[in-house]
Amino acid sequence: MTFERDSADVDALRTDRYLDAILAAAERHAIDVPAAIEIDPALRRAALRLRRDLVRVHPSFRFEERLARRLAEAAAEVSATSTEPRGASAQVRADRRSAAVVREVDWDPAVDPAADLARQDRRPLIIRGAVASAALGIAGAAIVVARRRSRPLPPMARAARAVRRGSAARRFSRARRARLA
Amino acid sequence: MARAVFRRSGAPVEARVRRLDLDRPLVEAARSDPARFDAIYRKYVAQVYSFAFYELADHHTAEDVTEQTFLRALVALPRFHERAPRGASDSRGGTGSPDASTFRVWLFRIARNVVANERRRIRRHPVVPLEGALLSAATPDVEGTAIRHDEASAAWSVVGRLPDDRRRALVLRFVDEMSTSEIAAVLGRTEGAVRVLIHRALRSVAGELGPER
Repeated sequence: MTFERDSADVDALRTDRYLDAILAAAERHAIDVPAAIEIDPALRRAALRLRRDLVRVHPSFRFEERLARRLAEAAAEVSATSTEPRGASAQVRADRRSAAVVREVDWDPAVDPAADLARQDRRPLIIRGAVASAALGIAGAAIVVARRRSRPLPPMARAARAVRRGSAARRFSRARRARLA
Repeated sequence: MARAVFRRSGAPVEARVRRLDLDRPLVEAARSDPARFDAIYRKYVAQVYSFAFYELADHHTAEDVTEQTFLRALVALPRFHERAPRGASDSRGGTGSPDASTFRVWLFRIARNVVANERRRIRRHPVVPLEGALLSAATPDVEGTAIRHDEASAAWSVVGRLPDDRRRALVLRFVDEMSTSEIAAVLGRTEGAVRVLIHRALRSVAGELGPER
């Protein structure tokens, strides 16, 4: 089993090297192709046939120029949005850029390799800042309300509270002196 | 007896050797000035278009896919990060591991995603046969096309009948002339798996084409 798998891997590796060789030969316009006697002749024929028949297809000149113009327009929009004032964050600029350029294209974030990254980058920054500032605001408001709600004590009540605090302090110092003695 | 160990300190060899992405100057230029994206576009338009055409067998859909691919690439270019290969390297400028990414690999990943999206959309609609569409628009040499018509259409139809992953690997290998490691990075597989995939695909093609006439 392992032997069969290894031999398949070796065959695949030999075929891969042969394909490298014939592609490189075509690249340098060589007339002859490398002879690889260790490869099955049927495979060699198939590789050469595909090399000849699977041609690269070029789009029409009209389409190529139309898309070039479209990309130039999109590039101009990208440049315009990337030179916005510094007040706008990088994420906001990137969002505007994407929206401006891709609004006519059916943009599906599920198939955009960079979209996940963008989503990860965006959320925590915004939410964290908003939560922090909101928490500070709520705490400040609570303190102000508590102070306003607490009515001032009458003079007799304040005096009674002071006496209670004083007697507590005296009791503490008396006990301390007794311990030291 | 103690064995001599010839080991250098520091990072392993694979980590120290960094392969230069040949498109890096073009990518940097396009990043600093988006108007210079045109050079990248001109370099890869035929490759992306061919990939889309062999996948979808329709010129109009292939044009749509090409357009979407380049527009998305233009928008997402600031977020593209070249990742150096960590594994074995090859002589054709390939990348060594599936997570490595040159600009070309990144562009073809976008193209593959756009093709998948397009395929989902047109699943219910009939498509033009690959060989007919190829012959009608791909080859300007009418006389040569007539001579090789049978052979070429036979090869195209055999490739068109292959399972998706095998056909895709063959197209990337023969049409876009990618190395095995680049195909591995585009398809998200290991190099070994891609080698076996191509080997089996070739064997299928050889079996269907039969002996050369």
